[in-house]
Amino acid sequence: MNLDYNDEQNMLREQIQKFCESEYDFYKREEIVKSSNDFDENVWNLFAEQGWLSMPFSEQSGGLGFGPIELSILFEEFGKALVIEPYLSTVVLSGTLLDKSTFSEKNDLIEKICTGSIHISLAYAEVDNGYDYLSPSTTLDSKFALNGTKTLVLNGSNAEKIIVTCTNDDTLNIVVLDANTPGVSINSFSTVDGQSCSEISFENVKLDKSNIIATGNDAENLLKETINLATLCICAEAVGCMESCYHKTLEYTKGREQFGQPISGFQVLQHRMVDMFIESELAKSLLIKAMLEVNNRSDEMYKHVSALKSYVGKSGKLSAKEAVQLHGGMGVSEEMMIGHYLKKMISIDALFGNADYHLKTFS
Amino acid sequence: MYNEALFYQSNLIYKEKNMDINFSKEDIAFRDEVRDWLANDYPKHVKEKTDAGITINKEDLIDFHKALSKKGWMGYNWPVEYGGTGWSASKLYIFNKELGLAGCPPILPFGVGMVGPVIYTFGNDEQKERFLPDILNFNTWWCQGYSEPGSGSDLASLKTKAVLRNDLDEDYYVVNGSKTWTTLAQNADWIFCLVRTDNSGIKQEGISFLLIDMKSPGIEVKPIITIDGDHEVNSVFFTDVKVPAKNLIGEEGKGWTYAKFLLAHERFGIAGVGASMRQLNRLKEIISKLDNSDLQKKVNELEVALSAIEITELRLLSALENGGHPGAESSILKIKGTEMQQALSELFVEASGEYALMYPGPHGYENNDKPAGPDYAAEGLSGFLNLRKTSIYGGSNEIQKNILSKFVLGV
Ligand SMILES: Cc1cc2nc3c(=O)[nH]c(=O)nc-3n(C[C@H](O)[C@H](O)[C@H](O)COP(=O)(O)OP(=O)(O)OC[C@H]3O[C@@H](n4cnc5c(N)ncnc54)[C@H](O)[C@@H]3O)c2cc1C
Repeated sequence: MNLDYNDEQNMLREQIQKFCESEYDFYKREEIVKSSNDFDENVWNLFAEQGWLSMPFSEQSGGLGFGPIELSILFEEFGKALVIEPYLSTVVLSGTLLDKSTFSEKNDLIEKICTGSIHISLAYAEVDNGYDYLSPSTTLDSKFALNGTKTLVLNGSNAEKIIVTCTNDDTLNIVVLDANTPGVSINSFSTVDGQSCSEISFENVKLDKSNIIATGNDAENLLKETINLATLCICAEAVGCMESCYHKTLEYTKGREQFGQPISGFQVLQHRMVDMFIESELAKSLLIKAMLEVNNRSDEMYKHVSALKSYVGKSGKLSAKEAVQLHGGMGVSEEMMIGHYLKKMISIDALFGNADYHLKTFS
Repeated sequence: MYNEALFYQSNLIYKEKNMDINFSKEDIAFRDEVRDWLANDYPKHVKEKTDAGITINKEDLIDFHKALSKKGWMGYNWPVEYGGTGWSASKLYIFNKELGLAGCPPILPFGVGMVGPVIYTFGNDEQKERFLPDILNFNTWWCQGYSEPGSGSDLASLKTKAVLRNDLDEDYYVVNGSKTWTTLAQNADWIFCLVRTDNSGIKQEGISFLLIDMKSPGIEVKPIITIDGDHEVNSVFFTDVKVPAKNLIGEEGKGWTYAKFLLAHERFGIAGVGASMRQLNRLKEIISKLDNSDLQKKVNELEVALSAIEITELRLLSALENGGHPGAESSILKIKGTEMQQALSELFVEASGEYALMYPGPHGYENNDKPAGPDYAAEGLSGFLNLRKTSIYGGSNEIQKNILSKFVLGV
């Protein structure tokens, strides 16, 4: 048994940390959030140069062949720096789905993802379908016309291509189409953590066989596995947030003096920071378990991602609330980074099933 | 000071009356009068917005307060002598609860709740005449200048300096320094400030209570945006601001005493029971339609906890009406009342499920397209993010626990 990261993985972590420190500080992030794009071309190109956009793809598809462990490292560090670039939607949700599929044009699309020259979004969620993604109401009829509405499509406003889940004669189909195909309309909204997501409707959108990525059982497995991997990624992001909440709160309370002493000297605050530290360590443990199960593609991988998701949903939010409280007024100020972790935790809990949902799924 | 424990003390008084959890006939009649006002005279355009969960603006707030003035209820906590209602503690409670249940915005505390009582208790006749009527008529908007960047929980360490000068036979203070987190200073006509007039003794001495016209040259107000995206608080900077000496309340150096009086004055209503009940009722309705046993359990738990808070507040009230003094126990209400507000808003977020992902900001979608998902999702998030403040301000919940351990537990 060995639960330590290897040297290569530690180097990757260091590389990402250095990058975030020099190219993605909080002010830079705020600039990107306030821009109309919700991502930064230049940063995205740097991601490509570092090879991060190719990380999870198989070597046959031109990727680096890294797995869930490296992805978790990346997302943990993204969590700490509150990175909002659309990595999850383009690389994880769309890219890894394509990579694992037998879709004929996948190599071309993956190559474009790796070089940073395309954004693709996965439209998997629908109104009133809750977290059941396997039986969409969007339909593909016998004449290959696509009809229906998708919601909460991450980065939909920037996507040139959209991967859509739909039902064709009671079986699940996954199709890909250009975002500017006639009959597609996109309406975008801000997310609580500074990203954007879209509602996309399809009205008699004419497709043909060449648009189909997968059908039936293949489609179901592909979707389940992709969502599971994405869930693991945002959990890793939450773990990064939790660690930062604890670190930043410790730093802040050491520097903040009231009643003639640093407030970190008050024992009630010490214990609360110890709790934040403990929660962050426990969440890390569940992350390690889940990412190894996913890495081994074990039968239990869904169960352990659910365990992790329910845990960080609850304790991650708690840590972020404590961080805000211990910062006093500074905690609720938009100009301080700390309050943004709370918003990130809300967004993470809302995506792919919240804490209560995953606790049920787990059992 | 708060060294007597109210609950014990009230047990020492010989009692003939049996316990009765119902309000008197008179109180019920009063409640109906409040309900009647809410149904007929509470401004409709304000009600429409608060019912729809839309953040109200400055004009709405003014209209709401003016409507209260018109009814003669603005001085809800003042003695009759100064134009107040002279209500008993139970009437005050009923008033707060009914307004909260109806979804009214909280009455702005700075004028009527805070500086008003300080002026009529410690101010001179000229000050009373000059300031009190405008407070009751809501002709002046007050803000509270206590906290400073370096002085939050440790308020007595404040540094904003006021130096007395005399020029051409005019006495005035020159104020330099800065205040922060000043709620709605952007709308305010006046600010009441704690300022340092003396540095020589212990820090609580040497603090004075000064009223400052916000139009004075040398005052600069800068917005602080909070995590919900709203502009509710500000930094206020003072550079050589000239303040007539007649704006000093009471004696120089006694400001700390007045500030403490003020803290002790606003005890009831701090739990926000009425407003929380309204949110609870809305949540119960929402959750009953969701077929989700986890949410159902959570809302049930909050209902029980809110009931405990309500009865605790009533016990304090009852003790007060039987001649007791509100003690440090009211810190219980601050702690549990704010935790309740936060928990309710969090449950709105949880009940929004995946739609908690989207947030349009504190003003909702206004005339823009709305995404699919429940109407309460945006409002829930705005509340959840905004209400983090309640456990931080007004003496943070940690400070309240320090008070309870010192003055009630005696440790
Ligand atoms: C939205 C909002 C509106 C406000 N409006 C106003 C206003 O209108 N006017 C005004 O004057 N002020 C206002 N305040 C300021 C408010 O009163 C202060 O934020 C509060 O006193 C806490 O001070 P601080 O923010 O400096 O936190 P700090 O005092 O620095 O506290 C940081 C943390 O340390 C804890 N802590 C501090 N001392 C102790 C101790 N001895 N033991 C244990 N824990 C401790 C606190 O509880 C908190 O968790 C407002 C604040 C907010 C957030």
